[in-house]
Amino acid sequence: MSLVIEHVSKRFGPVVALDDLTFTVEPGRIFGLLGANGAGKTTCMRIVLDILRADSGSVTWQGTPNTELPRDTWGYLPEERGLYMRMTVIDVLRFFAALYGVPADKATREVDEWLERFRVPDYRDRKVEELSKGNQQKIQFIAAILHDPDVLIMDEPFTGLDPVNVQLLKEAFLEMRNRGKTLIFSTHQMEQVEELCEAIAIVDRGRIVVHGGVREVKRAMGRRVVRLATDADGTAATAAWLAKLDGVQVNEVRADFVELQVPDGTDPERILRAALERGERVTRFEIADPSLEEVFIEHVGRPAAEEEERHLAAGRDADAA
Amino acid sequence: MRDLLPNAWHVARREYASRVRTRSFKVVTAVLALVGVALALLPLGGRLVQGNEEHRLAVYLEGSSLAPSLAGSLQATLNAATPSDQAGWVVSTVPDPGPAQAEVRSGKSDGLLTIQRGAGGDLAYQLYTDEGPTGSTPQAVQQAAYQLSVGDRLQNAGVGGQASQILARPSIEFVRSNPGARDSDENFGTRYVFAMALVILTFMAIITYGAWVASSVAEEKSSRVMELLITAATPRQLLAGKVLGTGAAGLTQYLVVVVASVAGFLLQRVLAERLVGAASANQLEGVNLTVLAPFGVLFVAGFMLYATLYAALGSIASRQEEVQQVTGPMIFIGMIGYFASFIGLTTPDATWIKVLSLIPFFSAYLLPARMLLSTVAPWEWAVAAVLMVIFLAGALWVAARIYSAGVLLYGQRPSLRAMFRAVRVDR
Repeated sequence: MSLVIEHVSKRFGPVVALDDLTFTVEPGRIFGLLGANGAGKTTCMRIVLDILRADSGSVTWQGTPNTELPRDTWGYLPEERGLYMRMTVIDVLRFFAALYGVPADKATREVDEWLERFRVPDYRDRKVEELSKGNQQKIQFIAAILHDPDVLIMDEPFTGLDPVNVQLLKEAFLEMRNRGKTLIFSTHQMEQVEELCEAIAIVDRGRIVVHGGVREVKRAMGRRVVRLATDADGTAATAAWLAKLDGVQVNEVRADFVELQVPDGTDPERILRAALERGERVTRFEIADPSLEEVFIEHVGRPAAEEEERHLAAGRDADAA
Repeated sequence: MRDLLPNAWHVARREYASRVRTRSFKVVTAVLALVGVALALLPLGGRLVQGNEEHRLAVYLEGSSLAPSLAGSLQATLNAATPSDQAGWVVSTVPDPGPAQAEVRSGKSDGLLTIQRGAGGDLAYQLYTDEGPTGSTPQAVQQAAYQLSVGDRLQNAGVGGQASQILARPSIEFVRSNPGARDSDENFGTRYVFAMALVILTFMAIITYGAWVASSVAEEKSSRVMELLITAATPRQLLAGKVLGTGAAGLTQYLVVVVASVAGFLLQRVLAERLVGAASANQLEGVNLTVLAPFGVLFVAGFMLYATLYAALGSIASRQEEVQQVTGPMIFIGMIGYFASFIGLTTPDATWIKVLSLIPFFSAYLLPARMLLSTVAPWEWAVAAVLMVIFLAGALWVAARIYSAGVLLYGQRPSLRAMFRAVRVDR
């Protein structure tokens, strides 16, 4: 029994935010909701959480409509972080736990455990406003999970985190999955998705353009990627002869390797043989599925991050005006 | 109702604690309490500045045929004619008119009365004073001297033994043609001042504490903690908790100020007895303090009505700066009753003010004011109560809808249209 989103549509006045959205999230998985800003990810999450009602369509979790589910089914990490700045960390967390009916002593134990896990146990009695943005985000994450929700919904959880904290948060994700929780998060950064997600859905302008298991989605591209490096001087020369091979397209020439695109039906080992025949020593040969970045570009027509920057610029203009 | 608990309670508790803990709350409460005490002590200060308000009269008895007890009976006569809430008379006999005249000139004494036995055996008086013939001292002394002379003449005529009986005031029974009605003149001034003070304080409290609710909601929105709240609790729970918590904080401040003022008032009476001597009369004479019971209930209900709507309006604002703009209508509604009370309470039995005082937005301050100044029929209380309950329920319903839509509304210019749209949508 899974989270099923069926034919969900939502308009805000003349703007169509979601257009006949349908996808399924298997329980116990980490699911990525990919899309540029304004694609409809946040609206979709709010509808699942039932803080916004869809114009049509339905959301069910293990067969029960979301309108009838208890609120503590969900844990939510909103894109815009927000806590009571003048309260202490422990007070804020106890407050949110209390709203979900978690007794104070149990909440305190859990908070201490999570602060330990995030390596910030001494922030317990500090005011939230004294914490850095990254550390506030950890507190926000704890606030979302204290009541032990079945489904954890997180809107851009990695935005604004430094690499160390990204790593800590990833570990927390895996911990939650090991506890049997279902995790859904939205992002436009593909690295985290590649690393964590077993299934994804890509949203563009309120529509699902592709969804399913990560491997299936990649395989459906109909091509594979080969990364090759040899002991020859410079990768540029390698790229030059590779480009002449039949059915091979050079994706990217990096200092450390050349990435090629090979359509299904072409044997990638042909490339390896060609390299060996040229007498070069192969230092790297790797056959892989296309990256999610490529999948995204293929389906949406532009990279997710580029879109993000455009939006940020627009936001700055709007703020200035 | 049951679905409000326990989350409304958690929200209220957090709201109360964080509100009461702020420095501004403590400072404002302390300042208001001090102002209250100062105002309560003001009458005493006035009397201390004015000096001893007692009237002092020196009596010089010319010739030895006059009984020294004259001064005593003069003082008794003067004080008998003085209303109990005004300063009394102190009459003293002086052996020499010279220094006494100097005291009158320097203002230390109100007058010097010289009494002598005239040619016909009648008492003759001379009053040395800086006041004209219609001044309060000459008037009072003339009245007292007349009674003194009548007594003296009766004594001379041989009815001395019965003189006090003859001069005693008769008892008169007053029967009101309209029993139960308030005397429109007697103490109306005091009661009017008290009623207006009640109106002003209530209006200010409701508007101030209501605005607290609005800004607190807007703050949760602008700090984005709202999105977390709205997933953890229902809009109705949040709304109810917010109103209760802020209301309790406001009531705390209100009670601290009232208790401090009442303490100041009681202290003022004790101090007045010690410093000035004569016990001052109850300054709230004519003010029926039972008004405070229904007032308390109405105050809380009125606040909840305003605060609920304030919360809804606050939820439409995206930032603190917009709160003023969106809560304008509430202040406007409050103002109607406020100004109406200024115009209308001089004639508390006019129909329009009666009708206005039953409307929930105004009843919190108009009804107790009317009760002070006139009478409020039981059915009027009933109508006001029923209307209040209906309005409160309606306000909660409308506010919960505006709130649940408003809290997710960012960046849009808050407008009446947006509000009505919010009420129309499902949640």
